[in-house]
Amino acid sequence: MDKLAFLLSEGVKNLWRHKLTSFSSIFSIFLTLIISGTLIIVSQNTSKVIEYLRDKYKIEVFFKNEITFEKVEEVVSNINKINGVRSTTVISKDDAEKIFKSQFGEDIMKIIGYNPLPISCVVNIVKDDTKTINIASIINKLKSFQEIDEINYQGRIISRIEGYYQLFVRLMTSILIIVFFISIFTISNTIRLTIYAKEKLIESLQLIGATRSFVKAPFIIEGILIGFIGSALSSLLLIGLLEFSYDLIYTYLSFKIEYDIKLLILTLCSLSIIISFIGSSRATARFLK
Amino acid sequence: MIQLNNLSYTFEKGGGVSNIEMSMQDDEFAFLIGPTGSGKTTLLRLIYMDLLPQVGNVIIGEYDSDGIKQKQIAFMRRKVGMVFQDYHLLEDRNLFENIALPLHVIGCSKDEIVDRVKDSLDEVGLGGKESHYPGELSGGEQQRACVARAMIKEPDVILADEPTGNLDPVTSFELIKFFEEINREGTAILMASHNYNLIKGRGHRIIEIRNGSIRKS
Repeated sequence: MDKLAFLLSEGVKNLWRHKLTSFSSIFSIFLTLIISGTLIIVSQNTSKVIEYLRDKYKIEVFFKNEITFEKVEEVVSNINKINGVRSTTVISKDDAEKIFKSQFGEDIMKIIGYNPLPISCVVNIVKDDTKTINIASIINKLKSFQEIDEINYQGRIISRIEGYYQLFVRLMTSILIIVFFISIFTISNTIRLTIYAKEKLIESLQLIGATRSFVKAPFIIEGILIGFIGSALSSLLLIGLLEFSYDLIYTYLSFKIEYDIKLLILTLCSLSIIISFIGSSRATARFLK
Repeated sequence: MIQLNNLSYTFEKGGGVSNIEMSMQDDEFAFLIGPTGSGKTTLLRLIYMDLLPQVGNVIIGEYDSDGIKQKQIAFMRRKVGMVFQDYHLLEDRNLFENIALPLHVIGCSKDEIVDRVKDSLDEVGLGGKESHYPGELSGGEQQRACVARAMIKEPDVILADEPTGNLDPVTSFELIKFFEEINREGTAILMASHNYNLIKGRGHRIIEIRNGSIRKS
């Protein structure tokens, strides 16, 4: 126990004696963890974001005037079989009249004496598929029905948003990989500097019978401490930002961000320990002979 | 307890030792004498396995340099105390921390460390100077601190490499007397020196080394 306390205190002293280099390592690990944390939150909300966007998909199909309601029902049952279609809602001529009245406050029957509004159908797209949906293919299939007169949809914009979303995730992942290696390199360099500064201590320890692991331990501890501080700072910032933006996002987008604080902290801590352990082990393996 | 069999080691740029045959008993006091560059330090480094022999082997206690692992070398060194001409004290640690270092390595408890360091410093006449840094001590005091650090782990043997090299004649003489006291308590001492006048007439075995070979033992 006292041996462990000694090694821990040596690790803390190492960190304190090289404040500037330690700070650069802490900052680099902080950046890595901020990006990782953002990705974790994004991935936790991926299905919700896609669900949110797809909920806005509304393909409106207008049938030709001469088509009977029975025929429409037959076509709609075929539309339901199209891959990517979640559900359909048929709007009869009477329903369309009511919608017109509620939206424009006018009774179309009184204005023109008959109901010119066609039977239509709202086609809803699947929400929970994690893959990007090919809206064009659904539209093409709908166009193949002779009974359909017109199709209205905002699919292009939503597809584009989905595309940007996927691009964002890919970009963040690439940056994360780069910053991950930079962090390892920075920590490794910090530990290397400590090793150089402690050359005499290392020599003395080896001469008095310290095992290699005993000599290495304070440097590994120093690296892990750097990682721990980096993860504590990044967790605090991320949680603070999430708490701050939660209400803001809900007010403007009616979207509730989902996040698990425990999972977030645990993941960031584990990641920081992995980075700092690899970084410090690399330095001790290379520079502690 | 120390056995050197047909020991040879040559550095890349020349120098070293060759065909060394030597042994030392458990409670023996021996001087290793020879001019600068004769191979004294190399021989000591081979004994504490800082260098591993290219030919022959070193046996120290239960440890044989043949095929020895790094971890075993560390354990072997816990039985060997080392004293150097340039003290090898850590400038950024006070006397207490310097002397306590070997005890941390062995894994002693905090209380035990405090007691043993205090006793050890009293024994070498440095009691009360626990908080002094090496730079605040005289050469003689630093060398005594170095001896205290070597002795605190109760080694079977002390290897001293020119420990009087930086000391005046009076302090050097006192240090040898101190080593003799330690030896009387059962610790073997092998002390390297190039100063024949300092060691002659003390009744200890003298091993003479020249050009990397033992001339007389």
